[in-house]
Amino acid sequence: MTRHPTLYSLLCLFGLLLPLALSARNVDLATVPERRTVQLTIYNSEDLTLVRETRVVTFKQGVNPLRFSWANTLIDPTSVDLRFREPKTGLDVLDTTFPHDKPQTLYWNVHSDADREATIEISYFTSGISWAADYLAIADPDERHLRLESFVRVRNQSGEDYENAQVRLVVGTINLVEKIAALAKVPVGRLNELKREEYRDLRQRAARKAMASPAPAMELSIGAMAADMAEMTPKEIVKEGLSEYFIYTIEGTETVPNGWAKRLRSFEADAVPMTVQYRYRPREYGDQLTRLYLLKNDTASKLGGTPLPDGVIRVFRANGHEGLSYLTTQNLKYVPIGDKIELNLGVDPAVVFELVKQKVYRDNFWLRIKGGNLYRKLGENGLKLELDSQVAGWNEHTVYRQRIRNYSRKPIAVQIRRDYPGDVVFRSQLDPTLHDFQTVQFETTVPAGEKAEPAYEIILRQGYNQKQNRVELQTGEPGH
Amino acid sequence: MNRTPLLYPLGILLLLGATPADVLARIKLTTLPVRERVDIQLDHPRIALVEEERIVPLVKGVNQVDFSWANTRIDPDTLVLRILAPTGAQPLNAKVLSVSYPPNETALVWSVAASASGAARMRISYVLGGLSKEFHYRAVADRDEKTLNLAQYLRVGNAANEAYDDARFWAGVGERFEKPLGLNETKEVLLDRFAAVPVRKTYTCDPVQFGYLDRAQDKLNVPMHYVVKNAGGPLGREPLPEGKARIFQDDGQGGSAFLGEDRGAFTPPDDEWELYLGLARDIGVRRTVDRNERQRIAGNLYRHEVTLKYEIENFKDTPVTLDIVESVRQIRNDLRGDNGRDPEWQLGDGTLRQPDPEKSDADQLLFHVDLPARAADGQAKKQIHTLRLTLNNEW
Repeated sequence: MTRHPTLYSLLCLFGLLLPLALSARNVDLATVPERRTVQLTIYNSEDLTLVRETRVVTFKQGVNPLRFSWANTLIDPTSVDLRFREPKTGLDVLDTTFPHDKPQTLYWNVHSDADREATIEISYFTSGISWAADYLAIADPDERHLRLESFVRVRNQSGEDYENAQVRLVVGTINLVEKIAALAKVPVGRLNELKREEYRDLRQRAARKAMASPAPAMELSIGAMAADMAEMTPKEIVKEGLSEYFIYTIEGTETVPNGWAKRLRSFEADAVPMTVQYRYRPREYGDQLTRLYLLKNDTASKLGGTPLPDGVIRVFRANGHEGLSYLTTQNLKYVPIGDKIELNLGVDPAVVFELVKQKVYRDNFWLRIKGGNLYRKLGENGLKLELDSQVAGWNEHTVYRQRIRNYSRKPIAVQIRRDYPGDVVFRSQLDPTLHDFQTVQFETTVPAGEKAEPAYEIILRQGYNQKQNRVELQTGEPGH
Repeated sequence: MNRTPLLYPLGILLLLGATPADVLARIKLTTLPVRERVDIQLDHPRIALVEEERIVPLVKGVNQVDFSWANTRIDPDTLVLRILAPTGAQPLNAKVLSVSYPPNETALVWSVAASASGAARMRISYVLGGLSKEFHYRAVADRDEKTLNLAQYLRVGNAANEAYDDARFWAGVGERFEKPLGLNETKEVLLDRFAAVPVRKTYTCDPVQFGYLDRAQDKLNVPMHYVVKNAGGPLGREPLPEGKARIFQDDGQGGSAFLGEDRGAFTPPDDEWELYLGLARDIGVRRTVDRNERQRIAGNLYRHEVTLKYEIENFKDTPVTLDIVESVRQIRNDLRGDNGRDPEWQLGDGTLRQPDPEKSDADQLLFHVDLPARAADGQAKKQIHTLRLTLNNEW
């Protein structure tokens, strides 16, 4: 096994040295107990990884000095913690010393009441290890199903090689901050007022609290790891919910040397049912008809085993010739179990979307007489309003045709949303609904190679005629 | 590891007998499975997707497959490795276990498990920067400008620093084709040929879009276009991608005369593909406002009666059709100022009463006017046309 000699933390047991005289002593003899197990719990959002490692150390009766050093790594020295796993009694840490002349080193004086072999656990926080989810979606040529693969990529820039480590990934971010807030007894919004050191300390405490019980897999022996290597199936990533978190535990162990990144499949789902929808929603997608793949993160869709963490998703379509067509790359926002997944593919050149203003006319004029408080409707009682009166209110009618031409080889489903601020009547025979008080939504389908021209009339009550600020849906022939 | 980046800028290496621990040590023995086939998909408007198929020998167990792309602009995040269905008699189940990314290298290592020793067909897809595509056209009109022979070309530029000995290209339109593409090479291929496509030569005056030839004399510009409808016959099955078109006309003597060039816009099926040919000098159009009167409806509410007059002369010895385009909003803005509202209008009893319904809407009006050829004595007969509009409810 190769190691970067300068980049590893070192635990030394000074079997021969007597209680520490840390003065000018430059000739040392040390033994280096190997790591038995390593567990990494990666909190991505915080650039924080909790490392728990176990080592077997032989103690003699009396005081035993232990040295722990972490040159050129990103370990947070204040977080290093030593516990005795086996036996749990008979061993005590007498003191911890950070020597002035040896940076990135500490000494523990451990008292043992007998000569024994013991399993110790050292835990600490390091930064520089991160993970990210990413996804690959390949739609069938007919775009009725797609294959979704999810990956996690662990990147190690921490300065330390972690070999055969059990890797746990914490999905979910806010909760940690909330726990920090709880520990600090301040509202979440005032966390930034905490001092840097204070915040770091609280962050570590919160993370430790969340991970209070070590996973049973920690007991893995070296033999089990060797068997694991010969494993011929992709590793399972076990997902478990814990409070508001989701923890992904990668099956077996992984070796991620410093500087490397490793990508593992988190899950794969074949033949996930999907639909294609075309949407016009200028507030969400800009002023264009956008093509979307819609699917759901639920068991009916062969998904739903886990929320989907934030990550980049790349979308392809199989072209039926064993090849792929690149469709898009986008950021997928965290998708809870049961929620929808929407993949925005942008504009489809095979669908032409045009709004044609067909006709404009005005009626229902009200005039204000001589600048006073008297208003009269034009044409009422044969009254001819002359000279000193001003238009104060009117209804503006605009007739539109939404022309949609579908040159693709498949029928398309189109959903259109438009905002109409003001006092508006939406007159059509399109069976529209209100998405909200000022947004009209209607749907149409366009057969392959054909066009549709849903028509509607907008009646905008202006000035004195405006009594409301909402859209009223009316069934009727536009323009009449 | 000794890689030969010049010879194998895109290399795939199989690490023999490797175990995952070898991922750490970067000294290995490797075999070099060659490309069996390369597909270059250029159907995306901006992105080139390269897919290469290789037969990779695997041993039973876990294999390390090393892929490197020194000096090329592969987007490593887009790399997809798919193991295709085996073609041989011997079934071999292979599966990607994980991908490792070594530091400071343009490379990655796939861990692939194989159920038996044998060869696996793998397809590696990636987005490659530096491959560009461009469409262009050569349009040759016949002598009487009724039909056009249209040739569509695709030009692929390779600045990707990778040579492809034989690649199958697909541009999203037209047929797939197979060509080698060398380093820094630009390859142009004839993608499609559309013979004897009906073409309409249009003469258009539109004060908003094309302006005036002589504003003081009210003379309008009359640009000419070839208009090809992307429908019928060989056309209409696919969109015509955007691209430069060089326009020629058959000179009747076995050659062709260059008429000019224009950039054709992306034209979906059923739409019209327009190529600008320059200004027509033999058709004169004078546009004047003949009448502009207002009547009070009530208070500050008015109705405007507007008449536009067009004096048109065709000095050509062939009859032509002139397209007159007007924006009612612009007329209203010119005559009474812009009040921000859409004009409400009605057509009156001028000679221009039947706008083209397909190309007219609440603002724009398009009229087709037939102009006879000039008379035998060489005199062009002046035609007068009027457009009468009532602009209602203006204030």
